[in-house]
Amino acid sequence: MDLRAEVRRAMAALGQPPPRGGRGATSDLSIDEALLLHSVGWEPVELVTGVSVTSVPWGVWTWGQGEIAAASSAYAKAMAGAAARMGDECARAGGLGTVGVRISVEIHPYHIEVALVGSAVRPVGKSAGRGRAPFVSDLSARDFCLLHSSGWEPLGLAFGASFVYAPRRTALTTFGQAGQNVELTNFTQAMYQARELAMERMQRAALAWGAGGVVSVVMGQGPMAFAAHAVGFTAWGTAVRVGPDGHRHLEPTMVVPLDDAAVMFQASSLRGEDA
Amino acid sequence: MTQASDLPDATSHRLEELEHGLFTSDLSVNEFLLVKHAGFHPVGFVMGSSIYHIGIQARRWGKSQELNKLTEAMYNARELAMTRMEEEADELGADGVVGVRLDVNYYEWGRDAAEFIAMGTAVKAEDGTSYRNSLGKPFTSDLSGQDFWTLMQTGHRPQALVMGTCVFHIAHRGLAQTLGTVGQNVELPNFTQALYEARELAMTRMQDEANRLGATGIVGVRLEEKSHQWGSHTIEFLALGTGVTKGTGEASLPVPTTIISLDH
Repeated sequence: MDLRAEVRRAMAALGQPPPRGGRGATSDLSIDEALLLHSVGWEPVELVTGVSVTSVPWGVWTWGQGEIAAASSAYAKAMAGAAARMGDECARAGGLGTVGVRISVEIHPYHIEVALVGSAVRPVGKSAGRGRAPFVSDLSARDFCLLHSSGWEPLGLAFGASFVYAPRRTALTTFGQAGQNVELTNFTQAMYQARELAMERMQRAALAWGAGGVVSVVMGQGPMAFAAHAVGFTAWGTAVRVGPDGHRHLEPTMVVPLDDAAVMFQASSLRGEDA
Repeated sequence: MTQASDLPDATSHRLEELEHGLFTSDLSVNEFLLVKHAGFHPVGFVMGSSIYHIGIQARRWGKSQELNKLTEAMYNARELAMTRMEEEADELGADGVVGVRLDVNYYEWGRDAAEFIAMGTAVKAEDGTSYRNSLGKPFTSDLSGQDFWTLMQTGHRPQALVMGTCVFHIAHRGLAQTLGTVGQNVELPNFTQALYEARELAMTRMQDEANRLGATGIVGVRLEEKSHQWGSHTIEFLALGTGVTKGTGEASLPVPTTIISLDH
């Protein structure tokens, strides 16, 4: 068998739209989620990915002042690149958007790597052609269905990041403050500003899409593993907009489950082994 | 606003953008839909933070006592963070903040300092009624969207996140004491008493805060114990909860249906 030809054939097949007429779809959705999607008239189409690796110039992490602009822009580029690729792959598979996207971001001294994996979905039997780029959303299929039935639609993954250097304290101020309760105003200000900047960038992306809001925002913050004086702030969430029919209230029913905690029988307990 | 805001300039920029109809929120979709159902619309993700240098206080090896200076620091720093969060909410014209979380972070570059941070989602009543608390400020609450919905259905309204804290040094046991109890089943009254006293102090302070607000009760109380970076014998006891008042509205909570699920 000519392995190279096989690989080439497989690669070419990936680029083709899936055959019409009820061929199975690949997705990482659970059965429940797939059923739930069908209940609102949508179906999974394909498992899609988007990856982007962006380089960070040498030496940006060494001590400085203010924002590490090169790192912030590398992050933005990597995220945008990965999301765009995922969108392309989704469109090629005939999906209108991707749900349940798992986001993995790795920040290394010289490069930033973003990988997205999720399931492309579309209304049953209807392939792309809405004239809009497919949306990317980190909401689960379940959340997507809930939003959909209350009249909202996802528009895309809004994100923002900012990397800053921790401000320096002189030995004199450190010494003077040693035994006291004081707020370190310059530190507070610097961290505050960086966090706001990350959120503002996320908002700007959402506004550009004409979104009404960003839900389940995830804020991340922390020092870089390789440079403790550099602190990164990230924020992402799904930009949403209310559909033409406005918001529909869900009517939740109150329930009290009468189940006891499940008791599971473990065969190993018969032999006196630890569970 | 009556007092000058001490928020950094960067905030006002972000908050201005939010006033143009976009909201951001760290509520999950479930919470978002329930908050909407309760008649509120999220207006923005708000937060406040303060990096605070905590002072030093001498402890006596064999004496249980509250460390007032440290208690004060923990109070002050959290208060600063909470006030800034409230100011952000106020700037957005919100009625309150739900899902408030309080965190303490330590950074590598400032071992003697800690960042106190408060964040949550500011919400506004859709029908224009004011839900601000008895002090005229946006209410704050650490209840989740689900709990907030349930609380509103029972005709209560949240007033504010109330807290009490107490940093306590618990005495070590002397050699004679330790030797005297070797091999025996005995209560260690000095430990018991110290822990008791510290917890009571924290809870009383929380209740005092609630009383000042005119709250009729505190729901969702949590008691947290942390040593932060003071070693094992110095512990912070933190009591946190949401002070609530009974509103004039009727309770509209439907009678719950009991279910037995067949899926396990």
